[in-house]
Amino acid sequence: MIPSLEQLSDQFTRLIRLGAVTPNVEDSTAAAPGPTATPPPSPGPVQPVDYSLKGYHLDVTVSPGQVVLAAEILDQNGFGLDAITGVDWIAQNELEVVYDYFHPLSPLRVAVRARVPRGHPELPTLSGVFPGANWHERETHDFFGIRFLGHPDLTPFLLPEDADYHPLRKDFNA
Amino acid sequence: MIASNDIPSRTNPQETFVLNLGPQHPATHGVLRIKMTMNGEYVTRAEPVIGYIHRMHEKMGENRTWAQFLPNTGRIDYLSALHYNHAFVGVVERALRLEVPRRAEYIRVITSELNRISSHLVWWSAFLLDLGGFTPLLYAFDDREKILDLLEGVTGSRLTYCYFRFGGLCNDIDDEFIKGTRAFVAQMRPRLKMYRELVTDNIILRKRLEGIGPISAEMCRKYGATGPVIRGSGVAYDVRRSEPYSVYPEFDFEIPVFPEGDSMARYLVRMEEMAQSLRIIEQALGKLPPGPVMGKVPRVLKLPPGDYCYAVEAARGRFLVRTVSDHKEIPYRVKLRTPSFSNLSLYEEASKGMMLPDALALLGSLDLVIPDIDR
Amino acid sequence: MEASVDTSQIVKFAKLDELLALSRANSLWPLTFGLACCAIEMMAAGGPRFDISRFGAEVFRPSPRQADVMIVAGTVNKKIAPAVKTLYDQMLEPKWVIAMGNCAISGGPFVFPGQYAVVEGVDQLFPVDVYIPGCPPRPEALIEGILALEQKLTGKRRWPVVKPPQ
Repeated sequence: MIPSLEQLSDQFTRLIRLGAVTPNVEDSTAAAPGPTATPPPSPGPVQPVDYSLKGYHLDVTVSPGQVVLAAEILDQNGFGLDAITGVDWIAQNELEVVYDYFHPLSPLRVAVRARVPRGHPELPTLSGVFPGANWHERETHDFFGIRFLGHPDLTPFLLPEDADYHPLRKDFNA
Repeated sequence: MIASNDIPSRTNPQETFVLNLGPQHPATHGVLRIKMTMNGEYVTRAEPVIGYIHRMHEKMGENRTWAQFLPNTGRIDYLSALHYNHAFVGVVERALRLEVPRRAEYIRVITSELNRISSHLVWWSAFLLDLGGFTPLLYAFDDREKILDLLEGVTGSRLTYCYFRFGGLCNDIDDEFIKGTRAFVAQMRPRLKMYRELVTDNIILRKRLEGIGPISAEMCRKYGATGPVIRGSGVAYDVRRSEPYSVYPEFDFEIPVFPEGDSMARYLVRMEEMAQSLRIIEQALGKLPPGPVMGKVPRVLKLPPGDYCYAVEAARGRFLVRTVSDHKEIPYRVKLRTPSFSNLSLYEEASKGMMLPDALALLGSLDLVIPDIDR
Repeated sequence: MEASVDTSQIVKFAKLDELLALSRANSLWPLTFGLACCAIEMMAAGGPRFDISRFGAEVFRPSPRQADVMIVAGTVNKKIAPAVKTLYDQMLEPKWVIAMGNCAISGGPFVFPGQYAVVEGVDQLFPVDVYIPGCPPRPEALIEGILALEQKLTGKRRWPVVKPPQ
């Protein structure tokens, strides 16, 4: 069941259209004055991307509530979870979580991203769909303080057991 | 004594105890701690605890310029440092669309494959140390010293290389290196044959590894396990074929795949990978083009805003660098997706119900480097 | 009856001390405590080319109770610092510590403003006898460190210092 780029794009577009909350890609970039140059907003939530420049084929932006459904689409298509990356966009008061996926039998690479407000960063956990997400989410929680709802054990992982700081936040002072 | 009502024993109504395979233990994998809940000799739950060698590489990525971060890449997985160099220079080259001269790409492949062999030799010796065989370490380290001599003459380091530069290499190879590598390839093939006869076909090793620690291809996919772990479970996934980079498409080599999924399959994958690396090195030496080893690179490196990734097939599996740039000289975010992290994440599920020595054989067959997990 | 015999005329402890120091120096049993990259160079030093068993030090003991010298090879983290201290405390006297590599000496390349995880030098936890700089130091440097430790114990150096040809 090796999917094609068009099939995947279709499935994601349908998911996002069905979603109750539309991803607010345009709002966040419009509200950002910030001194740092922000990446240009993708023209739509499901974007094919130049692999030779970016290293992945499809860029999908979803709302935080839809990350599990996006993961299920990829799981059904035979993808594996590559990495979960947190990014602190302090100038826009948001934290972004990027889920990278790879396929063991095809060269396709998909990146799914979601943004959460910095003061209240919560996302549902993926560990029901991909058990490997368990560790990635724990690490992202360690570094950014993002809470993954439904995660079995969100205690410090790479940091000491009594750590109460989140070092990769931009306003972290040792 | 721990009272039995302190230990959660939902899975096993019988009394269990917690055995702490502490951060310091003789299975020389590094500072990994595994809290094993045991029922006698059987493991009911093996929970890895990591972070004992967390060295803040991702935070340093936000505090160093692109070039200043290069030495870090050699220290994430020090046994296959050149692959990690490659991924980081690759992501910058990809984002800036830098041209790398063909000679540099060929030398990158030759040195990376030599690094892969030396990494697998260290894995082999440490794994056999875990299983109780001391002698193969002496043979393997002898072969490894020859590789290290070759690479030291070119890169200047024995272990934590920082040889690749954005746009090429820091220096060219000389005739001594080419002659030495050809001699090494010639003498390594009979050594691999000797290792197969003495160790791989050894009845004790086969009894210790065959059927031990079965990992299915589906489990590998769910946990993101890559490298010899997924190739030992029957899936021919190799980043060199799936997302070809550098000049790997120009070489003729096989991806060893074994379907059984047990520790013996993972062992055989790595032994065969060493032979395939020798093939690649021979072909690359034969076709080595002349020319410069450094391309044109802007003086000040500033990547256009956005995120970029680059993946390589390191000795342990898929290594991905994902970087976010905001058009400054310092990256905004550097994410390192390391193979040992994902490979170890399946250990808890894979080791349920195994006996302790078999659980350690499984751990050794995953080929972990702990700073690779903790970064 | 008084025992006012001057024992120093009957038993020469100096020679016994020298003998004890010589035997301790020639059979230093290291603790297997490789943390990171320097551990591989420590393994290479135990390997066939560099061979620290020439100096009596190839018997790596996994238990700190059986070890004389702790070679701290690698970065000491704030998370593992209590464990390292526990291992040091468990070792029996006489014990020595060799700090191998830049990380064990001062935190190494991982010290930067805003660093939150690395202990800047293992001598913040317990006293160190020999420092071996390098990132990682060559196995010959580790052997030189062991020879320096032997010199600290016995007062004499086993091999003369090799002077490079002019």
